[in-house]
Formats: sequence, C-alpha cells, structure tokens
Amino acid sequence: VDFDMGEEVAALRRELRGLIADHVPADFLGAFTDDPADLATAQAFCRTLAERGLLCMAWPTEWGGRDASLWEQTALREEMWAHHEPRGAQYMGVNWVGPTILRHGTPAQQQLHLPTISSGAAIWCQGFSEPDSGSDLASLRMAAVRDGDGWRVTGQKIWTSYATMAQWCFLLARTSTGERKQQGLTIFLVPMSREGIEVRPIANMLGPHHLNEVFFDDVWVTPDEVLGRLDEGWSVVQEVLAFERVGIARYARCERLLAWAPGALGDEWDSVPAELRSRWARMLVHARRARLLAYRVVDLQGQGRVRPGDAAAYRIAVTRLDQESASVLMEIAGRLRGRDENARRFVRAVEDHWRYAQASTVASGSIEMQRILLSRSLLAAP
Amino acid sequence: VNLDLGPEALEYGATARRALEAAGGDELLRTAEREPERRDDVIGSLLAALGAWELTPREHPEELEAAAALCRSAGSVALSYPVAERLSRSSDLDADGLIVVSDANPAAPIAGSALRWTALDAEGRRSAVTACVPTGPARTSSFVGRLELEPLDDRGAGDLALAVVLPCWTLLGMLDRALELVRAYVLDRQQFGQPIAAFQGVQFQLTDAEVERAGLEELAKYALWSIEVGRPEAADDALALRLAAIEAADIVFRVAHQLHGAIGFCDETTLSWLSRYSGPLRRLPFGPAETGDLLMRRLGRSGLVGIFGGGS
Repeated sequence: VDFDMGEEVAALRRELRGLIADHVPADFLGAFTDDPADLATAQAFCRTLAERGLLCMAWPTEWGGRDASLWEQTALREEMWAHHEPRGAQYMGVNWVGPTILRHGTPAQQQLHLPTISSGAAIWCQGFSEPDSGSDLASLRMAAVRDGDGWRVTGQKIWTSYATMAQWCFLLARTSTGERKQQGLTIFLVPMSREGIEVRPIANMLGPHHLNEVFFDDVWVTPDEVLGRLDEGWSVVQEVLAFERVGIARYARCERLLAWAPGALGDEWDSVPAELRSRWARMLVHARRARLLAYRVVDLQGQGRVRPGDAAAYRIAVTRLDQESASVLMEIAGRLRGRDENARRFVRAVEDHWRYAQASTVASGSIEMQRILLSRSLLAAP
Repeated sequence: VNLDLGPEALEYGATARRALEAAGGDELLRTAEREPERRDDVIGSLLAALGAWELTPREHPEELEAAAALCRSAGSVALSYPVAERLSRSSDLDADGLIVVSDANPAAPIAGSALRWTALDAEGRRSAVTACVPTGPARTSSFVGRLELEPLDDRGAGDLALAVVLPCWTLLGMLDRALELVRAYVLDRQQFGQPIAAFQGVQFQLTDAEVERAGLEELAKYALWSIEVGRPEAADDALALRLAAIEAADIVFRVAHQLHGAIGFCDETTLSWLSRYSGPLRRLPFGPAETGDLLMRRLGRSGLVGIFGGGS
C-alpha cells in the first residue's frame, strides 16, 4: 500500500494555495452571494488558473489542458472545494460539460465550446430536473417537437443552479416516445440568450443563484446543437451523473473547517467540553474515511474499472459527513467568545457550510438513489 | 499511489483462508469452545504450518501486509486464537505476543494460553503477563480473562500502533463475513412470496452496513501504510482506525442480526458465533467512548494529519 501522492501533487497543492492566498479574499465564501464582487473574483480567478493551464488541467493539451494525472485532478478538486470553490460555476464546465463535449461533440461543437470553457469565459447550467421529474429523471416531459430542420422546445426545468448567470444550458428534452422512458431523450447545447427562455430565481436557504426555475416557451433549437445521437441522450446523462457523484470533494471542506476549529477558538479550545472535542476527533476520522473512499473510486477509474457501487458508497459516506460535521462545527462555533477577525471568518464559513450541507443528501442524486445503486450492486450475482 | 495490499500478501491471506476452511472453517471455533484445552495446540500448529510465526511485521513491510491479510482471514472464521496479538509481539522483548490493555481492567482473550505474553498500555508502559484468570467458561467469556501484570518498562510507545491495527484487521475479516452471510440470507429467505432482499427497507440497511465495512477497509490499509513508512503519527492513525472499526462493527452486526431475524441468534447460524466472538475485539482494550477520548487527547489542537490537519 502507498497513500503518498508524490511530490508533483504536493507541489501542485502549494501552487494552488499560493494562488488562492494571492487572488481570493480571505473571507470569500463562494461566487454566489448577493455581492457581485464575489462572482467577479471567481471569474478573474478562473482566468488566472487558465493562464497557468490549471483550469482544465485534465484536458488534452490541444484544448488548453495539460493531461494532468488523476491524482493531480483530485488535488485540484480538493483545494478548490475546500476554499469555497473559487472557480464559481466553472467547476461544472470544467469537470463534466467540457469532457462530455470532448467525448461526444462534433468538431464544430468542440471548436465553439471548449475554448470558452478552458479560458474560464463561459458559464453553463444543467437543464435536467423538472417539477415532476426529480430522482425519476428519465420520466421528464419537456418536449422538443420537430419543426422543419430543427425543434421547438416547450416545458419547465427546476432547481437549475447558476441559470441567472449562465450563457449556455446543457439541456435534456424528449424528442420521441420510446418503449422505455429512457428512450427518446436528446441533449441540446442551447444558448441561454435564445428567445423564449425565462429564468426565475427561487429564494432559498442555500444562498442566491443556487436554485432557479427555467421556462422554455417554443424555443427554437437546431440540429447542430444536438450533442451525441438524437433520442440517445440517456446514456450520456448516465456518464455525466457518474462523474458528478465523485466530482465534488466535499470531505475537503469538512477537513479544512475541522482543522481550523482549534485555531479559531484559541485558548477557548481547552474549555470546550471533552465530549464535544471527542465528536470533533470522530469527525476527523470520518473525513479521512470519506477521502479514502473517494480515492478508491479515483483509483478504479484510473484502472478503467467502473463499479457504480463504489461511487455510491463514497457519496453516502461523504454527504453524511457533510451534515454531521456541520452540526459539530456549529456547536463549536457557538462557543466563540473572542471575536477577532480569524474567529469571525471561521463562524461565517461554518454557518455557510451548515446551510449548504443541509442539501448535500438531496443535491446531484439523493442519498436514497445512492442506496438503491449500492444495494443493486451488492445484491447482483457475482 | 497503490491502494491495495501487495499481491504476495493477498495470496498469503487467501492461502490462509483456504487452509482454515480445509481444517474445519467455522467448526474450528465450535471445537475450541467444546475442548478449550486443545485450541492452543490445534490452531497454533495449523498457523505454524502456514509460517505465521515466522512473519516479522515490525521489520519487513511485505510481512506486515501479509500479517494483516492473515488476520483478516482469521477474522472471517472468527478464529478463536490470538493471531493478531501474537503477530504484534515486541521485537526487543523475549515474548510470544503483545496485548494492548486498559489500565482500568487489563483483560484479553488468552485464557488457557501457555505462551509468554506482554501487555502494553496506551502510555507505552509494558508489563509481563503473569496470569490470565478466565472470567467464565468460553461460552460466555469468549476466552477473555483478567490479566495479572508485572511492570517491565515504559519503552513500548513505538509498539502501540501495530498492536492496535492488527486486531482491527481481524475485526474487518469478521465484518466481511457478516456481510457475506447477510447478503446470502436476504437473497434466500422468502416472506410475502419473495426474497426479503426485494424490500427496500432491507436493501437500505444492507447499504448502511456496506458503507461502514468499505470505509473501514480503506482506513485499515491507511493505518498499515502509516506503520509501514514509519510516520510519526502512526499511533494516532491506529486509534482513528480503531474508533471507526468499533463503530462499523456495531452497525454491521446490528444490521446482520436484524435482517437474519431470530435464526441469527441460534447456534446453528454462523452469524451468532461471529457476533459473540466479535465482542472482545470491540470491547477490549477500550470501547468507543474511551478510544475516542484517547484519540482526542493525543490529537490535542493539531488534528489528524491529512490534507489540512496536523500542521499540513
């Protein structure tokens, strides 16, 4: 066994932490706040990363990447999420929209989209969920009806993060009705500026820009906006979802906040009840456990082996960690009396983590769906 | 990065499991309970034939991994023998095995053992074990006895990590087996005209158990690696593993019992034996509260070494 990721990964972490320290304000809590300066920070930081070939480091060199190893990509995901994702919404473009276009897109689609993602210019949103199609995504009803050589799209998407600021939508709509509900779905790469698209933000406890409704009223889409094969979008969606399940290194933020706690409390730490400090230690163990389960999935990915059960087990462990660590951290933060700048930042970061963590067992595939996937793989014939 | 035990270690573990199966498998434990005076001889020589006591896990990384794989195989049949404890022996003392004890009530599952044992507490104090007084017949004590100790020295801090980690590998083997058993049972057992595996209430319990088992497996390899490369925080990593191992065992055995229903408590099911004999490993030397307390005190303000903690 060898858990050492080597000097290159360690050097990358140092580089990323240096860039964050230089370009991201210490009190940054993500791009999606009421203060437009935070989004500007994220957009500028993406350009900084892009200039160094760090934004899309997993991509091939010809598209602005540097063929980074899986472990370098892992370190990038960890450092970004731990520091409140200073890439803003770009993580979606970089992590899965770009790679999916790289795999399934036409040369023209690649020319159109990959440079704007790898330079950090374009923001994407994901048009998947509908009011009546959440976990049962394949039941979606948004219809794309043939009209001449294109389609007219009508229907509603919901829970669409970043829709207010996105220039592009990775849209899943029904182009035909097959025997199975998974058939007849097609992916369209649609500009959000297209006539007939209306975005309505939904006020929510996670913060602005996280949840929106997107209405499509007779929106015109063209054949060159179809990604992959017509009516066969479901298999691409499966790839996307599998990636999303390991795409966010939630454990890294938990680990950073837990490690920060004693320093934020200063001398107060020693008067924290032993029982609470024990729970803190226990959360450190759980954070390590989730991290190692993520590494297991990355390692299997590197060997070209995909076991859906492993990714699901990781997601179950990490989303529970997110919520349990948030409760422990809130209790610790509640003991803060000394209010120096470091302590104030810690409290704000913990409160943000707590709010966001409440959704972690719901977002990008509910924990119940993960349990279904894992039990299927456990009970399948060997 | 290499997240698997070496191929030789894995092969050694698999060979050991086949040998244990061939020698009776689950029957070994039943025989040991019936004839406790013979367990030292029968199982000790079976493992000697596998070269177990020639392994020097404290000196050679490959043998450390082989020792872990052997403990896991022993756990899978709830082998009633202190394998991990023998493999943990200190390299600078003339003894056959090393047992971690709590100061409050030193005890270990070595009743009737004729071997020479050393005890080690969490502070690194070592003692000679002068006697092991059984707390009852094997049926209820699982071979646990109270230890009488004669202080030796306080130079055992470096011995702690391995002596904590290897028994966790035994427990991991027990959890592997408990999950194998419960999986087979829920696929076989019919109620309401279908296998109970078809019910989501059953499936979800199974997934909770598997998440615990899978997480424990990764932590167990990590703690082994920490010893292998001589990380200064190896004992913290070992206690972190132990805390996760006890929690995992509680959940996995709870689920395994619940899904087996009443039959899971009967002597005719292997689960019942595994469950009983997992007790000493979960309780000794320290249960979850004491393990968590020890870990918290050792970590102080620095936390576990990771991508952010421990001054990284």
